[in-house]
Amino acid sequence: MAQALADAAIVGPRPERLIEARRTRGFVSAHAAFWLLAPSLFLLFLFTYVPILEALMQAVSLEGFGGKFSGYGFGNFQRLFADASFWKALSNNLVYGLGTVAPSIALAVLIAVALQDATRLNAFLRTVIVFPVVLPLVAVATLFAFVLMPGVGLLDYHLAKLGISGTNWLGNPDTALYAIIGLSIWKNAGYYMLFVLAGLQGIAPELHEAAKLDGAGAFTRFLRITLPLLKPTLAFILVIAMINVVTQIDHVIVLTGGGPSDSTNILLNYIFQAAHQQGDSGRAAAATVISVAALLSLSVASLKTLERGMHYES
Amino acid sequence: MRVMRRIALAAALTAMTAGAATAATRIDFFFPVPVDGALAKEMQNLVARFNQENPDIEVTAAYTGTYDETDIKTRAAIKAGKPPAVALMSANFITQYHIDDLVEAFDPLVRAEGKAPEEFMDGFWPALVGNARVDGGIYGVPFQNSTPLLYYNVDAFKEAGLDPDRPPVTWADWLEDARKLTRREGDKTTRYGIMLPGTYDILGWTMSALTLSNGGQYYNPDWGGEIYYDKPSTVGALTFVDDLVHKFKVMPEGTIQTPAMNNAFFGGQVAMIVSSTGSLSFIRQNMKVPFKVAFIPRNVRNAVPIGGASLIIPKGNSKERQEAAWKLVKWLTSPTVSGGWSRFTGYFAPVKAAYELPEMKDFIDKNPDAKVALEQLAFAKPWFATYNTVAVRKALEDEVQAMLSGKKTPAEAAKAAQANADALLKPYVDATALNLPK
Repeated sequence: MAQALADAAIVGPRPERLIEARRTRGFVSAHAAFWLLAPSLFLLFLFTYVPILEALMQAVSLEGFGGKFSGYGFGNFQRLFADASFWKALSNNLVYGLGTVAPSIALAVLIAVALQDATRLNAFLRTVIVFPVVLPLVAVATLFAFVLMPGVGLLDYHLAKLGISGTNWLGNPDTALYAIIGLSIWKNAGYYMLFVLAGLQGIAPELHEAAKLDGAGAFTRFLRITLPLLKPTLAFILVIAMINVVTQIDHVIVLTGGGPSDSTNILLNYIFQAAHQQGDSGRAAAATVISVAALLSLSVASLKTLERGMHYES
Repeated sequence: MRVMRRIALAAALTAMTAGAATAATRIDFFFPVPVDGALAKEMQNLVARFNQENPDIEVTAAYTGTYDETDIKTRAAIKAGKPPAVALMSANFITQYHIDDLVEAFDPLVRAEGKAPEEFMDGFWPALVGNARVDGGIYGVPFQNSTPLLYYNVDAFKEAGLDPDRPPVTWADWLEDARKLTRREGDKTTRYGIMLPGTYDILGWTMSALTLSNGGQYYNPDWGGEIYYDKPSTVGALTFVDDLVHKFKVMPEGTIQTPAMNNAFFGGQVAMIVSSTGSLSFIRQNMKVPFKVAFIPRNVRNAVPIGGASLIIPKGNSKERQEAAWKLVKWLTSPTVSGGWSRFTGYFAPVKAAYELPEMKDFIDKNPDAKVALEQLAFAKPWFATYNTVAVRKALEDEVQAMLSGKKTPAEAAKAAQANADALLKPYVDATALNLPK
């Protein structure tokens, strides 16, 4: 009896009709969604997808001397791969990526966990740390040009007290990239901290309380509760950070222009040089395609890896 | 790439549609300002004056950023079929514009007035002609120009027992003065004798100044396919700079960013720097202690390259717009306007007649540093311009930067720079000098 009732409750109206109703509703809502999205889709199409297609086309269009079109092929890619500056830019970009992403995220997590309790002092400290985020990168770079000056700069002034002085941070090919990495960490850590703080709000305090009762120390709780539950947040920050590695360029242009001796030349600056200083749009388009493809696959790969074993709270 | 071009194009189109609907010929004028906002404003004032004096023409002046950005925007506008009628272009880009067939020659416009092109160019300082005339045609009309100068701290000279009225004339004097001016405390250098700017663009210009002073030509001024990086004149100049850093230690190691150099000069951490005449007013405003300027010292002869910008008429303009553009170009390079702009900016006036005007004579008398710049002009040479100039310039700059950091010897640097530059020049060489009858 009870079983029969339950069956009736599950079956409800005849299944065919239900499916039909769902279909119509789905159709109507898809229609509505399409028209609601149409204006943005149109703009996206015009200003994002068309340029992407054009970049792809340009990458495979070959030009002879004087910019005359001479056919399609992979000649631009061949010239790109034969250019030592491209490989230098690629390896610089890898060093820059490794040097900025992990440290700035680690710093962001550390600061966020330290400042997560809403006390007045913490609120003040958070503001201080977020401050670099609101400054435009160009302004930051201009400031750092003075901070990093040998002899008179703020950094050198303090280092001199430790007996290290006269370092020409931006003028030495061995240190210039690291100076730029330092600036990027300073600029971005606060931004990522905001996301981590938001992520921390989503972790139920009961979990920590229960663990505390079980005798877990602060470090164990951080490792076993906070970090695993922050995974979705961290995955998101990781993607943002990687996009920043490829798209932020203002500081390089302001501080070094890619020098000395190409030591701070990263891909986007290389693309700019190829397109506008050397008038070689084919090679620039090929480099663009390569760097965007690398960025896309890295982002997808990192999201996939971090999603595995992710804990979502309901 | 395309995306950037699109943005530039949109900006250009906005600028173009901004003009009022009158019967007058409406033309656009793209101009860069390398220094600050005051200059852009002054340029707008000039154009407003021109529009008032020429009711049949309406010029819209569009500020287009730096020299490099103006190049990008002008090329984008030409490609889009909406070229400006006049653009103020870095003087050493004109060769490339001509190679790409993107500029009109001024010769027909000059001839239409019953003047010979030579006669027209005679009105300008001879050093400027090299960058204005390419393959026999006039493709640029000089508007604002500069040369490198030696700036030195008068107090530091006195303190080192040197006479500030007798700046170094030869490289030997220069080194000797630098050694006296360098002040060391233990293993720390509190004041360097010399600094040369190491930032891209100005580094290449500075190295060409030293090469010219060393008797060299630096590049083939008549054909854009040759550069002389591994010749004795260039290698000698590179070696001199390397010695200043590593042998005599009167100049700091590594690339010196231009702002760092300026700051060190203002702060007394360096006694002598090389900078453009265009920086005169900037340095005058920021330097608290007395300073003077002098010629770039010579090893073989006195010679410096010019810098600055010329007016061009991009291709793709109607006859009517070309005529209007020509009127604007003539007006902007008339002695009165040219002299006024020179006094306002610190650039020297390209038209010789400007210096015959009483207000200009008065100005030169009151500003001895402007006088030095003017006198050095007699020894000036064209600015190096080849096919793919910027990349060819960077080929040397990257190697000099490696040399300044002690990673390469001058000979190695010169050899690598030459090889890289030759590879960059190859397409043009193949299309011209090695394109032989078969």
